[in-house]
Amino acid sequence: MAGRRVALKTIDWVAFAERVPPNQRTMFNNLKTRSDAVAAKLTSLPEKPAAIDWSYYRSAVVKAGMVDEFEKKFSGLKVPEPVDTQTALINAQEAEANTTAAAYIEASKGRIAQYEKELDKFQNMIPFDQMTVEDLNDTFPETKLDKEKHPYWPHKPIAEL
Amino acid sequence: MESLTIHILLEEFMRFDVLSWRAASFFFTASSLHRASWQKTQQMRESYNNMQILSQHLLFRRISRVSASLVALCRRARRGRDKGALCSKNSTLHPSNMLSRLVIVSASGLKSSGPLGAGLVQASRSLHTSSQSLAPVPPLPEKGGKVRHGIFPEEIFQLLYPKTGVTGPYMLGTGLLLYMLSKEIYVINHETFAAASIGAVIIYGVKKFGPSVAAFADKLNEEKVAKAQEVKDLAMASLAQAIEDEKKEQWRAEGRSMLFDAKRNNVAMLLETNYRERLHMVTNEVKRRLDYQVALQNLHIRMEQEHMVNWVEKSVIGSITPQQEKESIAKCITDLKVLAKATQARATA
Repeated sequence: MAGRRVALKTIDWVAFAERVPPNQRTMFNNLKTRSDAVAAKLTSLPEKPAAIDWSYYRSAVVKAGMVDEFEKKFSGLKVPEPVDTQTALINAQEAEANTTAAAYIEASKGRIAQYEKELDKFQNMIPFDQMTVEDLNDTFPETKLDKEKHPYWPHKPIAEL
Repeated sequence: MESLTIHILLEEFMRFDVLSWRAASFFFTASSLHRASWQKTQQMRESYNNMQILSQHLLFRRISRVSASLVALCRRARRGRDKGALCSKNSTLHPSNMLSRLVIVSASGLKSSGPLGAGLVQASRSLHTSSQSLAPVPPLPEKGGKVRHGIFPEEIFQLLYPKTGVTGPYMLGTGLLLYMLSKEIYVINHETFAAASIGAVIIYGVKKFGPSVAAFADKLNEEKVAKAQEVKDLAMASLAQAIEDEKKEQWRAEGRSMLFDAKRNNVAMLLETNYRERLHMVTNEVKRRLDYQVALQNLHIRMEQEHMVNWVEKSVIGSITPQQEKESIAKCITDLKVLAKATQARATA
């Protein structure tokens, strides 16, 4: 009858919900409903079962020794705790998710650096009305006219005028 | 500056008779101006009055070409002058005609671009003050150099002001004009009236339509710049938004531990539930067994009781003989009669 108590972490579902991206919302809702169901089931069961009134039974049951035997066996009985098979899997999942998340965050940081570089370029460039054509070609290489490929004016296919 | 140079040079031209030498010097100056203007053209921005600059440059090219032909003509004229009176008379007229035509051409050409010509030179002055080349090229000044009456730079008036006051340059101009007319250095002929009419029309046209044409050209430019600016703004906004989104996604990814906490919680809760259920089941089963025993005992006792009662009853009833039954019935009847009499008596009494 030894009840073991695993520390249940209190989960802030509101904060959790904020972090869920919109495309995973249904999965989150399903998880929440299942978690709530499990928690309700747990709270509905009392922690210890009702104690058996042995003295009453000793006086009631005629058969000699039966009650004593039951009592002895009952107090000696140890209910086995259920085996935990899933926590290890969950921990493995978590480790894997951590690695993928770290990789994603690294890639994201790289993207941010690239965006910031381009943003700096836009912020530090000279205003358009002080540019020469060479400055424009330096800042936006795609505006450079390819004079080798199209040697004659307008140096680009007519369709692109 | 260029207008002043040309006017001074032309004036020099008129004064002396060494026409070919002057023509050569004029040609040299014009070609140097041509070179200078070409360099300037290369330095100017594409977006700022390209046509103006190109037209100026072309004008200088034209002047230098004209002056080259003028040199040849002057030489021929001098040879002609040396040769004889008749032919030289015609040919001597030519240079001055050519020169006057040149004056008109250059003057009229410069009238329309005068202010900007002066202004451009001033800008080039400000551009080339330091020995280094500035990058990015600083923007041009908004307005050209100040001129009076469209062609005469303000600097002449400022130059002459200390010595001759406000009316000095006007006096100078009037004197020069009268000198040229009286000495017949400038001859009034049909061309004069043609030049005057053409000049009047050109001045009227520029004054009337100049601002609107300039505004139109400026608007075209503005549109180009605005489009580029819009592209730039859009790009900057989208980049900033992309950065924000990436940061948000990073924040989202940080919450992944909550998911696994929830999962582990679920597992723990299920295990606990299961354990409690087992406890309850054990207790309940034991209780059921004991209750069964108790109930079984009670059942036994009750059954025995009932059986005994039934048996006793049956035996008692069996033991009553018919003789005893008749006697008991007769006794019951007499008892009943006595009772009836007693109640009757009581009722009447």
